Amino acid sequence: MKPKSACLLGLILFFTCKIITLAQLSEFSSEEFRATDEITAGKPPAPPTNIKATDKKNDDGTHITISWTKSADDGNGANNVTSYNILRKSPESNFETITKTLIKTGKTDYTDDTVKRDKTYSYLVQAVTASGTTSNSEVTGAEATASWFHTGKKWLFLSVVLFSVVVIYSIYHARSGKNIFIRRIPGLEAVDEAIGRATEMGRSILYILGLGSVSNVATIASMNILSQVARRTADYETALRVPCNDPIVMNVVREMVKTAYLEGGHPDAYQEQDIFFLTESQFAYAAGVDGIMLREKPAAVFLQGTFFAESLILAETGNSVGAIQIAGTDKEHQLPFFIAACDYTLIGEELYAASAYLSREPMLLGSLKGQDYGKLMIFAAIVVGVILELIGVNWVTTFFDKVSN
Amino acid sequence: MRRQVPLALCFVFGVVMVLIEFSPHPYSKFLYNEVINWSLIITPFALVLGVATLVQTHWIRIRRRAEYWQYSFVVFIGMIVMVTIGIPFGPSHKAFAWLFKYIQTPMDATMFSLLAFFIASASYRAFRARTLEATLLLVAALIVMIGNAPIGDLIWNKIMPFGENLPSTARQWILENPNLSSRRGVILGVSLGVISQSIRIILGIERSYLGGGD
Repeated sequence: MKPKSACLLGLILFFTCKIITLAQLSEFSSEEFRATDEITAGKPPAPPTNIKATDKKNDDGTHITISWTKSADDGNGANNVTSYNILRKSPESNFETITKTLIKTGKTDYTDDTVKRDKTYSYLVQAVTASGTTSNSEVTGAEATASWFHTGKKWLFLSVVLFSVVVIYSIYHARSGKNIFIRRIPGLEAVDEAIGRATEMGRSILYILGLGSVSNVATIASMNILSQVARRTADYETALRVPCNDPIVMNVVREMVKTAYLEGGHPDAYQEQDIFFLTESQFAYAAGVDGIMLREKPAAVFLQGTFFAESLILAETGNSVGAIQIAGTDKEHQLPFFIAACDYTLIGEELYAASAYLSREPMLLGSLKGQDYGKLMIFAAIVVGVILELIGVNWVTTFFDKVSN
Repeated sequence: MRRQVPLALCFVFGVVMVLIEFSPHPYSKFLYNEVINWSLIITPFALVLGVATLVQTHWIRIRRRAEYWQYSFVVFIGMIVMVTIGIPFGPSHKAFAWLFKYIQTPMDATMFSLLAFFIASASYRAFRARTLEATLLLVAALIVMIGNAPIGDLIWNKIMPFGENLPSTARQWILENPNLSSRRGVILGVSLGVISQSIRIILGIERSYLGGGD
């Protein structure tokens, strides 16, 4: 072979090899890892190992947690890994970066909150060096599934079930007709006194249900008390005025009071226009009720339900017109105001006990007994918890911490 | 039937809503949102009835020339102006926003500011040291007030050679110990009361809210 031909053949072979190499490279870049945009400058670091993708428990199927063991080069010499990157492959797309910013070294887990329920995803973790050199871990996958029951709330669920069973047992036990002792509640004993006073003075009774909506349990408790008050005002034919903050509450209250008057045998004494809507605005409502108090000077004012900053504005105005005031709320922040400004205050659970207390219905009284057993259980847990905590045993506090979380 | 259907609905929805609380599944969330949306549908109908009673109440006041009946005209003017601007143009319209910002908000603030005077008068009555409880309340309130004002610590540190920043430390102790523990007691009672009341309603034992007893 002539030297010229040999050179030509050599050149042809060289370019053929180059073309094959480029073709191989372009083939690799078109594969799944194309998106990693691997920079080949410098030696690649050791890849992260033990990569695991697990579906997050107790969620709505939108989280997968990825964990890994850090690269051997994490914080180590020339190939120092400075951060990590997470790449995800979904059934519809190829591998793509999901981390908006690089994950700092030292962190070995990441929660992907952009997945869709009932879909399987593949993940890989990429170790990145300061010069931009990367190396990929092995690929792992997981399916995002939703949980039907939040196992973290199992103790709370069991507590609710246990308390409910105690209350239901007490309710049905009360059906036997046994006499149930309920401690005297001065605020509820004063209901008859307040109605009697209004009747003797020939003035009206003002019943304020607060700012709660009909879905609020305190408002329902207040409506139950109103039902008992309405039965008595029907008997005495005393005017009962109920300004409402919520139109739905107004409609329910109208129906309730009407039935109470019907059952009391005084349907003619029922005045529909005495139960009326004022406004949904908090302070406009307070201004409206204050105006009614100052103009009509009711002999008795009931403030029962959910109250906020307007509680003292209402209670002080009622006090200034000389009305006998019976208040009750579930908002513990407003209780001091009522205690300071009203004659009687139902504190905490007394508001919920009022309906049973006033009606004296055995089954309702039974539920109060169940409530007391619940309090007894909590009290015992507190005493045991304090004693154990003092001697350095903290499993009771840990247990309640779990229940509350 | 008039009673049975609402009681059955109350039982079913009550139990379902309790279970939803313990389920993070999207179907549970969907059901919860659906129920909330249904309840929202009732509001406009009830609001129409509410506004009708408001008009009726003030119309009767004007007709009967009740005390301060002239103010009922202010209610009608306010309502007509807000409705005339609010319904066709929406709450983001400039005129509506102006009315809200420069009339309703200052009026609300005025009512709220009355609270300061009412607190003073209520405190005066509550803190009169006539009983042991009232005296304790007075002493605790004085410590908390002095501890809350920065000048309290300043004066104490100037005149007392011991107990640096004692007023604010005492205030903190009162708020974090006797105050917080009694508040938690009330919260526990309220929580048990709510569960007990809910059980009574779900089981149909408490049915006064349906209008009457049995």
